[in-house]
Amino acid sequence: MKKLALVVAAALGLVAACNKGNAAEGRAAGPAPATAPAVSATTPVNGEPAAAGDVPGTKYGAGVKQPTTVSVEEVLANPQAYANKPIRVEGMVTDVCPKRGCWFEIAGTKPGQKLRFKVQDGDMVFPMEAKGKFAVAEGVLAVRELTIEETKQMAEYQAKEYGIAYDPASITKPSTQLRLDGTGAVIREQK
Amino acid sequence: MARVRQKWRKWFRAIHRDLGYIAVALTLAYAISGFAVNHLDDWNPNYRFENRVVDVGPLPVAVDGQPDALQAMQNHVVAALGINPRSVKGHFQESPIEFRVFLVEAQEVRVDIRTGHGVFKALSRRRGLFELNTLHLNALKGAWTYIADGFAIALMVLAITGMTMMKGDRGLGGRGKWFVLAGLAIPVSAIIYMYS
Repeated sequence: MKKLALVVAAALGLVAACNKGNAAEGRAAGPAPATAPAVSATTPVNGEPAAAGDVPGTKYGAGVKQPTTVSVEEVLANPQAYANKPIRVEGMVTDVCPKRGCWFEIAGTKPGQKLRFKVQDGDMVFPMEAKGKFAVAEGVLAVRELTIEETKQMAEYQAKEYGIAYDPASITKPSTQLRLDGTGAVIREQK
Repeated sequence: MARVRQKWRKWFRAIHRDLGYIAVALTLAYAISGFAVNHLDDWNPNYRFENRVVDVGPLPVAVDGQPDALQAMQNHVVAALGINPRSVKGHFQESPIEFRVFLVEAQEVRVDIRTGHGVFKALSRRRGLFELNTLHLNALKGAWTYIADGFAIALMVLAITGMTMMKGDRGLGGRGKWFVLAGLAIPVSAIIYMYS
């Protein structure tokens, strides 16, 4: 019986060892090297070509396959041009879903510009430690026109999510909600 | 016939016993994590957050988010709080009045550009729970998916073989069937409620 227990333990150990490589994918990459230069959210990235499928960093989901990047600024300025199309964006991660790790936000080139990258709960889990790192993300852009009521509801929900104050009086007009429904991403320390 | 029945029961008992021993650790891990993630609306089962009020004084004024101006604001915050510049990962102007500096380990300083008032936000993983939740929610993917599948099959085997442990009045043919039906009523009731 001892032999049987040993065989089972050895088999589990072997499977766990095989898993080691994959395990690194889901984990935070740890603190940035002490010498890592700071990333600015204002680095332009529009239309920059990059080797598809060869993006360095920690891979999530299907990773990145699109060869060209569209800047967050461009997506925010012309959402209808990219609606329901697969696109690749990149930039600094400013926020991560604190409870489920099911979304993160990528900074654009101008103050306040952000695009949310969202996945189904459990499809990919992004660690909070991704905040401040550099992400290359790919997905299909969802564009939704919100009524003023829906805009208020969304603002209230987001205020709760971010732990910031919500003032309904500040919402005076309808808005357009943009969301990148994610298929894959790569996150690394810096650009 | 009775001999054959006796034999399978013996095997089922052996399987139930030894598989049960193997499943102890994972059962406890999944149960503890289950408690933790069940109450996701009430708390964060993975991280602890700590906010500290800071005052860095008014920041140098940004000119339309120009990179140099943003860098000057970052330098101001870092110097005012005595942060090691090597732990700075980047910055972002959240709004015309709000500036953020990102630090290692998901720490962040978020200040009002006009006044310099703000918060230093730090977080730490809930040691133990973070790891258990990672396993339970299969954030690792890869080979862990197959281990978790194996565990799910093991639980099914344990459930089925568990019903055959006893014979007679205390067995499945006796009061056991009523307990099984009572257990079945729990999810069935929940599903009926869900669609009602």
